[in-house]
Amino acid sequence: MASQIPITVRAQPPTASAAAVRGKKRPGSPAVSGVQQAAVNSSISGSKKKKPPLTVTPATQTQITAVETVVEMKTVGSVDSTPTTTETVVKAPPFKDNTFMHSGIGGAAAGKKNRTWKNLKQILALERTLPWKLNDPNYYNIDAPPSLKPAKKYSDISGLPANYTDPQTKLRFTSSEEFSYIRLLPTDVVTGYLTLRKATCIVP
Amino acid sequence: MSPDPVFELPAQCVTPTAAPIVIDNGSFQTRAGWAAPAAEFDSPRLLFRSVAARSRGAARSETQIGNDIPNLEPLRWLLKSQFDRNVVVNFEIQELILDYVFTHLGLSSEGSVEHPILMTEAPCNPLHCRQMMSELLFECYRVPFVSYGVDGLYSFYHNNNQRNLQRPNTGIILSSGYHCSHILPVVNGRLDALNSKRVNVAGSQAASYLQRLLQLKYPGHLAAITLSRMEELLHGHSYAAVDYHEELEKWRCPEFYEREVHRIQLPFSGKVPGGCVSAEERQERRAQQLRRLQEINTRRREEKLQQDQERLDRFLAIQELLEDGLLDQFHKSLMELNMDSAEELQSYINKLQLAVEQGRLKLLQSDGGEGKMENCHNFSPLYGATPAFNMAEYHQLFVGTERLRCPEILFQPSLIGEDQMGLMETLQYVLARYTPEQQEALVSNVFLTGGNMQHPGMKERVERELLALRPFQSHFKVTMATRPGLDAWYGARDWALEHPAAAGAEGWISRQDYEEKGGEYLSEHCASNVFVPMKLAKPVPVRPAEPPAALQTLTGASAASATVTVAPAPSLSSDSADVNMAAS
Repeated sequence: MASQIPITVRAQPPTASAAAVRGKKRPGSPAVSGVQQAAVNSSISGSKKKKPPLTVTPATQTQITAVETVVEMKTVGSVDSTPTTTETVVKAPPFKDNTFMHSGIGGAAAGKKNRTWKNLKQILALERTLPWKLNDPNYYNIDAPPSLKPAKKYSDISGLPANYTDPQTKLRFTSSEEFSYIRLLPTDVVTGYLTLRKATCIVP
Repeated sequence: MSPDPVFELPAQCVTPTAAPIVIDNGSFQTRAGWAAPAAEFDSPRLLFRSVAARSRGAARSETQIGNDIPNLEPLRWLLKSQFDRNVVVNFEIQELILDYVFTHLGLSSEGSVEHPILMTEAPCNPLHCRQMMSELLFECYRVPFVSYGVDGLYSFYHNNNQRNLQRPNTGIILSSGYHCSHILPVVNGRLDALNSKRVNVAGSQAASYLQRLLQLKYPGHLAAITLSRMEELLHGHSYAAVDYHEELEKWRCPEFYEREVHRIQLPFSGKVPGGCVSAEERQERRAQQLRRLQEINTRRREEKLQQDQERLDRFLAIQELLEDGLLDQFHKSLMELNMDSAEELQSYINKLQLAVEQGRLKLLQSDGGEGKMENCHNFSPLYGATPAFNMAEYHQLFVGTERLRCPEILFQPSLIGEDQMGLMETLQYVLARYTPEQQEALVSNVFLTGGNMQHPGMKERVERELLALRPFQSHFKVTMATRPGLDAWYGARDWALEHPAAAGAEGWISRQDYEEKGGEYLSEHCASNVFVPMKLAKPVPVRPAEPPAALQTLTGASAASATVTVAPAPSLSSDSADVNMAAS
């Protein structure tokens, strides 16, 4: 398995550790390492400073990582920046592990493609696939249901209870002054009021 | 916002035991500080907006976080938050925020943060998010212990202690934050997560509703009506009505309006409204356009006249040919003109002569007319008097019923088009799932917390609506948190002081727990979520050749090929077969 991968391992102690190799630390950051990526795509760049052996570095015989560390943090060049990227402007905070890379951004193999974080919708979609039982609470279970009471109508202009609706613009109003005001409104303002109520009709 | 100082690491937070750091990770604000018994640690050291201003390209390294940003508005488009609704999804920015917190708290230890960390999370936080958060804390910062809790529950815990209520506590929490509002029933000291409900309306929806209302009312001030100013208005000038319809009726009355409307003065801008001052300019422009049109018309008429004249001359010349007797030439020219006989030629000539005469007449008329028009224009500037224009008043916003409508969306989400139940209707729905005795117990301790509950009148409103919901002459009690925005931090700190971190202690997740049970493991306690043990496949990097369909399918594939042989690694990958992965 390992042999299939063109590894350019740089003398890492094969300490097995719990941490798996993560994906890119920051998209486009010279801190990105993961040698398998270097083999696969040339997007890895940045001047890499090697730190003395870090316990986190996972280097099993099957895993690929020669995790290069960069005195990182804030220097980010473009993804295809040359190896002569600037050294760090800001020194990395000492209390963190500089070889850490998030596993969340699509994984090491994703390379350039899955660089963005999952948004809430995707995370919830993944959650739904887990084997929940009927009584387990989870994020989408606790969403409040749609209302059972009919919505009260309020004027779009003043907020007072509205008894009338303008057939032309579909805006609600309470008095004749409001009505004349509505009739003088430009169309973008009318659409704005309707969008506030989520009442814009797609079909003309 | 003035930038936060970098505090000195206090000695008593390091020895004899490392004091826990309490971070209330809110989508609006992050509050962080020490959990130590001394009085100087009584309040959060750091209080800042949970935003990072990241620009693209070369300036990406100069990310500003929280209070480093003096004014949010110019950077509004660069602001990113780690939250999506009330859940953390972007862990890079979370990492930046944690770096900021630790740096400003004065930490300087090498290679790890040696203090236990207590963080807040969303109610029923998705397992993936907790896994990512634990990974960040344990792998990147190498913290020894981590604890997660729900902010509303911590606030409840704190206030119950303050009121010396007997434990275990039962009550129902109405917590309204920035992105969502929750109804959290607590039964015998533990959250009843199955019966909790969340309404997706809260502070940020109120702020953007206010912004849109004012922008539509004052289209000339679109750019000046910024979200920061709206938040100021919401925090300082809005209130919740006890009875919405009654209150609206009051606003109908003009005297009430005059008294209660809040006039907001915007800063001066050079923009002039299109139409007020330049009435003369408008008239001038109109006159110019008319003149131009007339000129074009006359020119056209002249040209046509000329053409007709020429044709007439030609025809007349041909007629003369006929009269002179040059019949051959006459016939030839007739053929050229595509005419058959002399009579046709004559009729054409007559028509043309008529047209020429009319054209000349019209030209004369229009010339005269133009002269008259110009005279008119000369008069109007003398007579037109521009109305007195008050620049200060133009830059004032009148905020009337908007003060009332924006906090109301929490109770009636239909105002913004959301079809979810409002807060009180949801409360009724939740209560209906309990027996009457349980309902009595819950309702005797209704607790309001969260930043969005700070509008004046919220407590009275909740009491009034609860009175309508509950059976006749039944008892209930509504309490508001002493500091609705900050009490979550205080509660978390109290909890941390009462439950010191140790391996195996209730509520704390140790490094070993993380490694054995995976990132999504949660150690339950009185202020935490409910943990449903479910093996989430831990994302393991796969060989680059494999196309990544999804994180979990990745691990599935790699597990199948048994690449992972890391000894202490959780054997989650082998358990991934248990996980029902629809994607694979």
